[in-house]
Amino acid sequence: MSTGTTFSAAGDIQGEERSALIDLLYRLGDDDLMIGHRNSEWTGLAPILEADIAFSSMAQDEIGRALSYYRMLHALGEPDPDTIAFTRAAAAYRCASLASLDRSDWAFSTVRQYFYDVATTRRLALMADSSYTPLSQFVRKVGGEQKYHMMHSRMWVVRLGKGTDESRLLMQQAVEKAYPHALGMFEATEWDAVIAGSGIGPCEADVEASWVEEVAEHLSASGLAVPTNVEPTYGGRCGRHPEELGCLLEEMQKVYKLEPSAPW
Amino acid sequence: MSDTQWQIFEVFHQQVRGEPHVYVGSVHAPDPEAALILAKEQYGRRQASVSLWVVPEDAITATSYEDVDMFDHGTDKSYRESFGYETTKRIKSIVADRTESRGEA
Repeated sequence: MSTGTTFSAAGDIQGEERSALIDLLYRLGDDDLMIGHRNSEWTGLAPILEADIAFSSMAQDEIGRALSYYRMLHALGEPDPDTIAFTRAAAAYRCASLASLDRSDWAFSTVRQYFYDVATTRRLALMADSSYTPLSQFVRKVGGEQKYHMMHSRMWVVRLGKGTDESRLLMQQAVEKAYPHALGMFEATEWDAVIAGSGIGPCEADVEASWVEEVAEHLSASGLAVPTNVEPTYGGRCGRHPEELGCLLEEMQKVYKLEPSAPW
Repeated sequence: MSDTQWQIFEVFHQQVRGEPHVYVGSVHAPDPEAALILAKEQYGRRQASVSLWVVPEDAITATSYEDVDMFDHGTDKSYRESFGYETTKRIKSIVADRTESRGEA
């Protein structure tokens, strides 16, 4: 339960609440950076031009959000956004495995984005009244953008789920593959209780419960089976990542590391 | 490369409520709802929009360019055009007066 205190700026939050906030912002920023990077890999390759433009444009939205979270971290005394994004070793990232897995085929990228969008939508809604003012302001700013992301990924899931036998099969396989990693988004960290207790954000179990409910409803409506008794893939929130993240970082950091002092 | 089998939808966007919807281009989509979603990123991401319309291409009946001569004005009929009317000048002078007096207030 929230203590009712409002932290209106970085200087107002100290002690364990500050550590909890930093932990949350790294998770949020790293998720957005990685999934944004993965989705940007579809630029020029998506099945149709319209999908290509929409997916690439939303990838930019995600990377933009990562930048916002990293700026909040910088205000809290963490390194500048470029340093945070481009210089850490894999184990220092806090993204869920869902965000860093290879883009695979269009079905997988679509399902992954849908799972991610539902989590993001639910999480943002639960952070709308965050006791950390910069965070609640950020939520208001991206609300409309996220509404569109949600419409877009819901549309793809239902169209492909109810498309042809082949598209339904590919979507079902993608659902089975992505689901354990999606549950991994809700891996609680040691700061979970402080985050919820100070009103900074929701506890992960609450986000998960509302995610599971919405996803089950939409998958069913899309003619897809909802996986049951799934063992979540945890580890991302404490720095244990799939190999794919290493490859992603190598590519993402390559240019930056050539000349870290170069202005862009 | 073979073309997509999806339908073509013509896209119209409105920049300000009350202004006309203006034609901006087309998208391929399986149905109107998907067309709206795809058109939003295609045409709404760089310019202000408050509303989009999508219309299936085959719902539009058009004149043929072969008949372009039917638009010709063979003789001087400028008397039919609104700028010829005294009313237009009166409206313009009223608007100008109001703008002026508002400026003084």
